[in-house]
Amino acid sequence: MAEDYVIEMLHITKEFPGIKANDDITLQLKRGEIHALLGENGAGKSTLMSVLFGLYQPEEGVIKKDGKEVRINDPNDANRLGIGMVHQHFKLVECFSVLDNIILGVEDTRNGFLQYASARKKVMELSERYGLRVDPDALISDISVGMQQRVEILKMLYRDNEVLIFDEPTAVLTPQEIDELMEIMRGFKKEGKSILFITHKLAEIMAVADRCSVLRKGKYIGTVDIKGTTAQQLSKMMVGRDVQLTASKKKSVPGETVLSVRDLVVPSRTHSNNAVKGVSFDVRRGEIVCLAGIEGNGQTELIYGITGLEKISSGSVTLCGKDITHSSIRERSSSGMSHIPEDRHKHGLVLDYSLEKNLVLQKFRDPRFQSHGIIKADAVRTYAEGLIERFDIRSGQGPITISRSMSGGNQQKAIIAREIDKDPELLVAVQPTRGLDVGAIEYIHSQLIEERDAGKGVLLVSLELDEVMNLSDRILVMYEGNIVGEFDPAATTVEELGLYMAGARTQERKEA
Amino acid sequence: MKQKKSLAENGMLISILASVISIVVGLLFGFILLMILNPAKAGIGMSAMLTTGFSSMDQFGKVLYQSAPLMLCGLSVGFASKTGMFNIGASGQYTIGAFCALVGAIALQLPWYCCLVLALVGGGVWGIFPGLFKAVFNVNEVITSIMFNWIGMFMVNLLYANMPIMLASAWGASNSDRSAALSAANRGAIIPKAGLDKLFGNSSWINISVFIAILVAVIVWFILEKTTFGYELKACGLNKEASRYAGINANRNIVVSMIIAGGLSGLGGGLYYLAGTIQYVLEKRILSMGFNGIPVSLLANSNPIGTIFSSLFISYIQVGGSAMQPNFSSESTDIIIAVIIYLAAFALLTRGLIVRLLTGRNRKEGKA
Amino acid sequence: MNLLANIISLTIVFAVPLMLVALGGMYSEHSGVINLALEGIMVIGALCACFTLQAMDKNGFGPVHPQLSMLLAILVAGLSGMVFSLLLAFAAINLKADQTIGGTALNTFAPAFAVVVTWAVQGQGLTTIQIPSWIRITQATFGLEAGNGFFDSLIFKYFYLTTPIAVVLFFAAWILMYKTRFGLRLRACGEHPQAADSVGINVYKMRYSGVLISGFLGGIGGLAYTIAVGSGFSSSVGGYGFLALAVMIFGNWKPLQILGSSVFFALFKVIAAYNSSIPFLPKLEGLKDKSSLYQMLPYVVTMIVLIFTSKNSQAPKAEGIPYDKGSR
Repeated sequence: MAEDYVIEMLHITKEFPGIKANDDITLQLKRGEIHALLGENGAGKSTLMSVLFGLYQPEEGVIKKDGKEVRINDPNDANRLGIGMVHQHFKLVECFSVLDNIILGVEDTRNGFLQYASARKKVMELSERYGLRVDPDALISDISVGMQQRVEILKMLYRDNEVLIFDEPTAVLTPQEIDELMEIMRGFKKEGKSILFITHKLAEIMAVADRCSVLRKGKYIGTVDIKGTTAQQLSKMMVGRDVQLTASKKKSVPGETVLSVRDLVVPSRTHSNNAVKGVSFDVRRGEIVCLAGIEGNGQTELIYGITGLEKISSGSVTLCGKDITHSSIRERSSSGMSHIPEDRHKHGLVLDYSLEKNLVLQKFRDPRFQSHGIIKADAVRTYAEGLIERFDIRSGQGPITISRSMSGGNQQKAIIAREIDKDPELLVAVQPTRGLDVGAIEYIHSQLIEERDAGKGVLLVSLELDEVMNLSDRILVMYEGNIVGEFDPAATTVEELGLYMAGARTQERKEA
Repeated sequence: MKQKKSLAENGMLISILASVISIVVGLLFGFILLMILNPAKAGIGMSAMLTTGFSSMDQFGKVLYQSAPLMLCGLSVGFASKTGMFNIGASGQYTIGAFCALVGAIALQLPWYCCLVLALVGGGVWGIFPGLFKAVFNVNEVITSIMFNWIGMFMVNLLYANMPIMLASAWGASNSDRSAALSAANRGAIIPKAGLDKLFGNSSWINISVFIAILVAVIVWFILEKTTFGYELKACGLNKEASRYAGINANRNIVVSMIIAGGLSGLGGGLYYLAGTIQYVLEKRILSMGFNGIPVSLLANSNPIGTIFSSLFISYIQVGGSAMQPNFSSESTDIIIAVIIYLAAFALLTRGLIVRLLTGRNRKEGKA
Repeated sequence: MNLLANIISLTIVFAVPLMLVALGGMYSEHSGVINLALEGIMVIGALCACFTLQAMDKNGFGPVHPQLSMLLAILVAGLSGMVFSLLLAFAAINLKADQTIGGTALNTFAPAFAVVVTWAVQGQGLTTIQIPSWIRITQATFGLEAGNGFFDSLIFKYFYLTTPIAVVLFFAAWILMYKTRFGLRLRACGEHPQAADSVGINVYKMRYSGVLISGFLGGIGGLAYTIAVGSGFSSSVGGYGFLALAVMIFGNWKPLQILGSSVFFALFKVIAAYNSSIPFLPKLEGLKDKSSLYQMLPYVVTMIVLIFTSKNSQAPKAEGIPYDKGSR
């Protein structure tokens, strides 16, 4: 046991009300290694790193730095110990310059006045040495996401940190930027820095990491050497079961076209480019069409354009032969579109409304539930009780439960019940299983297949390739605002999809 | 299951308890302040504040009379808060409403109910601005409301000065710094007393305005709780994005709710100045009635029915406050009101505390 | 010519409180706390300062050392404003209260408190605190002959110690905000408190600092306003706290623009008072009470400006949002 560990996190337990985010987790980081931390969404990776960075205090366990036990109460302590972190959501002040952001918290002053000269020199040196070119005087709001990440990295280097934590750093990057980042990380390793690399992308781990620790549902699964393992093995450790590639569903019998999207262009809210750059496709009755892709490649905006949450720049959307390009959200809804939104707390539910009120969120104007503007409370109650029964929505007090107090799975069930009961022609489901447990996921999958078999068109957006392969009858891969490939799930592999999702390949599409 | 249910049923109880606690703390604070300032007279002052309202039918009539505009301003603030808007502009809407009512009464010689409609419309028009600025230009409604309080006050002064017929001097009185007395200008515009004055010992204050206000409170409650319109408004206030997703036009609702809120304040102004006992005095000062709608609404937790009681309470201590002179200034009541508002600012915290005290368990257990 | 001198000097004396208070608001908002309580803070500052001046007058120190007493009064104004603003800071920062409601509470409290205290101290009905006349800086202060020329009116007609102190405070506020470590960290807390926290800045401490500075400047502003009005303190600052809020927004949360907009707002106030004797203004024949019109205009202009600037407002992004360590 003469290993040279720079950081040891031993038997860490961290609880939040209702869940154990970290349950007796041990992680040991060797000096000068790139150590990947692998796990699905919600496995506890970010919590563990927040503990190491002093943002959370664990209930149990100890942290050792260079073999000595330390207490990390806040980021200052972490910084003093030489631990730095690139957060998944950047911690940058938008209206400050790059240089201001880098020095923030460790400013040089003379007589109380800020001194920039030496800081500028050090930043320039660092960016030269590690190939992190930035303009120190540019405002954060004016530079690209990739550049912003470089600023975050420079923040750590400027503080002479020797342990660098990267929290899902590639989620926001283009493939070239990812390659560059990998190169930068290797450079750090050469300089003797130790890296913790949080991700759920196997390819990146295989490419850059020395060792990998795997978490699953808050528990420590194990640590392996990358040299002696395969992506399949890691994947198995991560998900805890063999990936099921055969779903129990009948062959799809596509009918007439329900949704037809032509040359759709949707602006982005975060930058001046378009998020969706002229997308065309159809969804037919009796098929599940899946939009696959890495997060942030325009799927969200495409759905916003189709469902009316965002105004489109150009193009057209047709639902059952009716042009709904400029229709209001309500018109789209009454024309037969149901939408299970990506963010159930932001869009899907009025959390402080009771369950029954949420179940009639679009239907309260229906003559069934109101007459002359007065709500028929009895009808709403009866209806809600029916849905609760049929979809097995569990809650403390039935229809009058405040939705906020329900579990995530049951909240999602409520949304699905509401959307399916609208008897739509088209069901748009965006990441319907995100953050849910296996039972809820299986239930939701079966509901989607049932809808398909009932002759509806289903448009599914998913980031999980498992789900994509399992459910879809047709796969469209989105990359940087375009559809770059169309696949039959039976005739493709996850690996092939991955290449398209990463922008390594593009198809010429004939159809649409 | 049972435990959860009883807690939920206590939601209303907790709200009431929180309000009672803030009232008690406010009164205590006021008492301590009086003790510091004038220990010998503090007891007399405090009891004047707390008993005057019930001391005679005349005083009680005044409590009821003043509670009507307070109730409407409170309803206004509460209604706006249902769509997530903080209506600090009730004062301006109230001023405009009062002006419109008096124009109807004095310049146009209309009967009282027409004047009240004018007040409602005038206040509603003034409520358009914060709503529209928020919905269209995304300007914080607090800023717009504050600006329009001042714009309204200066504009009303300007209009009075340029409408000589509105001033007392045009109706046989000598002063031109206030609106004409309705007893001289138009008796038909005075809100009827319906025999209540006899009941209240010939009180000059009492009229049917408090019943009008209570009726409005019930209507507001009905709109919020029983109609699709109220359902939409509250959905917007609780989660604007989700209501947009559900096809509810959030911006339209913000504007409409502010128009209604403005109308309620405006009606309050009409009720106050059409009683025939008070004349509008031209001063370069924002009227406090609209601001007092804020504590009324906060004490009632924005509940329209609760507003009936909270406005009666605030009116009661205000009437009592003026009886504290000459030992203390009547503004002593405002100090108590300020403490109540201050406590309401972190009402959630107080409520959490009450829940914990009531259940005798800490939060973690309660949740699990 | 004397009219021009009067207008300029009166504009300056009214711009001083607006600028100070708006700068105070700027500090609070850059730290992330909306300070709606400026009006109340001004009242408390003016109240305490006026009592100080009165006491100085009575004990004989004031007439002998007028400017020293004035300096003391200014300090009292600032410190009392600071203490009062602690109430807002505590509610907004520690209790994560609704800042707008908290500010409203303080605005309700301050004038009522001032009336009650003045009443109790001076006796029933005497709700105006008289300000001694010796506080004005005159030619005699510098050993000069009293005159009636242009420059006499321009400089000495409304010259108080608050004016030079305001100039000093303006530069101090500007330097502190943009040239020091404190300013950089403060602004970070108002823009992105999570970012500030992640680099080890104590957001609570910075926000307290921001609110306290606004209390200090607001308190002095209250005294400056009372002096500018010149008729003693009657428990009110005439809505100048709210006007200062408009000045701050109009000034885009930046010191130099705040200076400009406070002069602009003060000018309208003065025009409102002098409109009949200013030759180049439109006559508006037949319109009575023109002063109301001129006093209304700055608010209208602010609203119009807000329409055009709201799309790319410079308002601190995190203002009004309580910072919760748990939610990072």
